[in-house]
Amino acid sequence: MGSNDLKYEVSQNAYIKLVLHSLKHPTSAVNGVLIGRISSSNDTVEITDAVPLFHSQIPLLPQLEISLILIEEYFSTKGLNIVGYFHANERSDDFELGGVAKNIGDHICRYFPQAAILLLDNKKLEALKKSKSSSAIMQGCI
Amino acid sequence: MVTKTEESELKNLEIQVDNGGGGAWEYLSLVRKLKVRRSDKVLKHGLSILNDSKLRSKLGADEWTLYEQVAVAAMDCQCLDVAQDCTKALRKRFSESKRVGRLEAMLLEAKGSWEKAEKAYSSLLEDNPLDQIIHKRRVAMAKAQGNISGAIEWLNKYLEIFMADHDAWRELAEIYSSLQMYKQAAFCYEEVILAQPTVPLYHLAYADVLYTLGGLENVQTAKKYYASTIDLTGGKNTRALFGICLCTSAIAQLTKGKNKEDKEGSQLQSLAAKALERDYKQRAPDKLPQLTTALKSLTLSS
Repeated sequence: MGSNDLKYEVSQNAYIKLVLHSLKHPTSAVNGVLIGRISSSNDTVEITDAVPLFHSQIPLLPQLEISLILIEEYFSTKGLNIVGYFHANERSDDFELGGVAKNIGDHICRYFPQAAILLLDNKKLEALKKSKSSSAIMQGCI
Repeated sequence: MVTKTEESELKNLEIQVDNGGGGAWEYLSLVRKLKVRRSDKVLKHGLSILNDSKLRSKLGADEWTLYEQVAVAAMDCQCLDVAQDCTKALRKRFSESKRVGRLEAMLLEAKGSWEKAEKAYSSLLEDNPLDQIIHKRRVAMAKAQGNISGAIEWLNKYLEIFMADHDAWRELAEIYSSLQMYKQAAFCYEEVILAQPTVPLYHLAYADVLYTLGGLENVQTAKKYYASTIDLTGGKNTRALFGICLCTSAIAQLTKGKNKEDKEGSQLQSLAAKALERDYKQRAPDKLPQLTTALKSLTLSS
């Protein structure tokens, strides 16, 4: 648990990519990886980009390993690391982190101790279509 | 599971109908035949046919099939009043029909009145215990309420009666995977592969589950199934090629102290690596350097 209060900044780019990915696959769970860096003053984690990963076959290992390796390679040339994990559940009222999401999150935490997990609130996503609220529709957990 | 040709035919028809080029009825019939889930399009085009009385009378007896299809699509898109209208029209025409009774129970399910729907399904099943669709709706209801263990129980009961339903085995395997019960998931995939040994997707999924289970034997078997997937798809399946590289490096790690020269294994891996590089050169040449470093790291770590 973080004893120093870390702030997390999510860039518009990352946010939009994740939301669009979830909207494209409304009938299955989706997940993705958050890319970013720690700011130089060491108190903010900037999440600058996101890579959507899967929309089926989430709990299977080989795909996850390869994608993490390739993502690390690609972004380390740009000076960014994997800083978190994003998950959206299949059912619209399921608002808990399942076992799979927790495991993947733990794994990422091993490499980057300040990693965050973002869980999509499906009900708020639905409401987005009807209202123009700008509140975040994700819940962050560490 | 749809084949590539059927998928492209469906897409062409979809584009044609979306741009006002007619052919809506052919599109809807194809969707019905292939059992794909395109509820928003079905709703839009189905309603346009049903609301136009000239087009409707041209359909003749098929009109009622269209009503059923649109009702189900409306329920999927949560347009419950449309679904209710279609079901009422069908009930007026076929007052004693069990099929309409099923639609009415589905409407209850879509509204979220779980107990009423459960009662309706049970009574329908008493009259007709071999109705596959109702059994599947029960499983779907349990899953939708979050009762995953209930869903597994119902699905197992269903499979005891209908052992040849591959889609049900696949659904069960996916549920087990999401609960991380990989051994049971592997069993389900084995059943599916026995029934349909020429579908590469099942081999691929089985190999994935075996790799996730871990352990030397499982990873070796996984490698064999990745190889059979490549065989069945003529070497074009990227996931299987990656799978082979992962398996070889995992096997090498697991047999580190045993000094086994697995020449055949390393040949397979270098072939897979070459095929991957060729594929990337063709389709995504700017990602090629990442691929080569990733592959090197896999072989170095072994």
